[in-house]
Amino acid sequence: MKSIILASCLFFCTSLFAQSKIPAIDKSPMDMSYYPNNYPLLKISDKATEPMVARVIYSRPQKNGREIYGDLLEYGKLWRLGANEATEIEFYQNVTINAVKIKKGRYTLYTIPNADKWTIIVNKENDTWGSFRYDEKKDVVRMDVPVQKTDEPADAFFMYFDKINYTSFNLIAGWDNAKVAFPIILN
Amino acid sequence: MNLFKKYLVCLLITSCMFFACKQPNGQTSPVPPAQDSLPANPYAPLDRSQMDMSYFPVDFPLQKMNGLKTELPVARVIYSRPHKNGRVIFGNSENSICHYGKAWRLGANEGTEISFFKNVIISGKNIAKGSYIIYAIPYAEKWTIILNNNLYSWGLHIDSTYDIFKMDIPVSPQQPALEDFTIVFSDAVYGADLIMAWDNVKAVLPIEFSK
Repeated sequence: MKSIILASCLFFCTSLFAQSKIPAIDKSPMDMSYYPNNYPLLKISDKATEPMVARVIYSRPQKNGREIYGDLLEYGKLWRLGANEATEIEFYQNVTINAVKIKKGRYTLYTIPNADKWTIIVNKENDTWGSFRYDEKKDVVRMDVPVQKTDEPADAFFMYFDKINYTSFNLIAGWDNAKVAFPIILN
Repeated sequence: MNLFKKYLVCLLITSCMFFACKQPNGQTSPVPPAQDSLPANPYAPLDRSQMDMSYFPVDFPLQKMNGLKTELPVARVIYSRPHKNGRVIFGNSENSICHYGKAWRLGANEGTEISFFKNVIISGKNIAKGSYIIYAIPYAEKWTIILNNNLYSWGLHIDSTYDIFKMDIPVSPQQPALEDFTIVFSDAVYGADLIMAWDNVKAVLPIEFSK
């Protein structure tokens, strides 16, 4: 048994040393979504009629046959709403979330998923990895939103914005058969 | 037996953490794993050229998570990573992906964005903290690197009237050749080097700042 441990240790160490500074492609690729949707494309084709409001940068874990809710994501436990680096949302103008005024700038998003609702958390500790160092004292706002069923199961975790009207929009986040809509109001 | 189990669990957890952070270089797959076999995501399909980000200090978010960093990072680049896929990347031929003398978005999809969280100096010129589009005009022996103010635009349409900085940097051979386009920072005595590499070509942009 000792030899197994030793062998795995050795393997582990060699793979560490074999790392160069050139990063490999992430298993959970990063992605970004804008509001208004596809703003960069609208911008270069002179079709952007509204100013840019928000952008989310997140990584996209994939289901890969796993049980997501209640298993990979434990109910009631903090989740980084993505993978790898903590998920970042940037507001390019002041907005209101759950009656709290949010100044423009960068924030980190977390969630606590439950079977019927997710608690979405906006936190001001940026540039961090995952939710390992989450500090509740740095929360800016929390909001509970009900869980909805996706029309079709999504293998890759997704986030995008959806317009409600001229003064508000939703951030939609979902994976597998569940999604939530998180309302953001323009000031 | 209990001890062994504990060992194994510890080992598994640590390896998982490390593998989640970065795969060993040898495991780089030429194409994104199994991407084509996934059902289409009806909400936001996965990009063929995945987005990625690099920080300076290197791996800043991991260091922050480990309690090693508390201050702001110095710089960050957000870019997408096209794959070589057997194509000619740099050259003068008609089918070159990055044609000599033609502006290239240094990535794919959205324009590549570089953020400085403090003022920096590049080639003797002060660059104010903030975010910029960074793009290149590649040639056989050098790349022209350009910073541009036209943020949040799709990379195929580069408006040079927003250029704020331009400099030439030499290219050197990249060994081993890279399947995936890569931008990464590395430590330098004067601050940081921004390394941009794809296929068999590497270009390095020196960035100075007070530490």
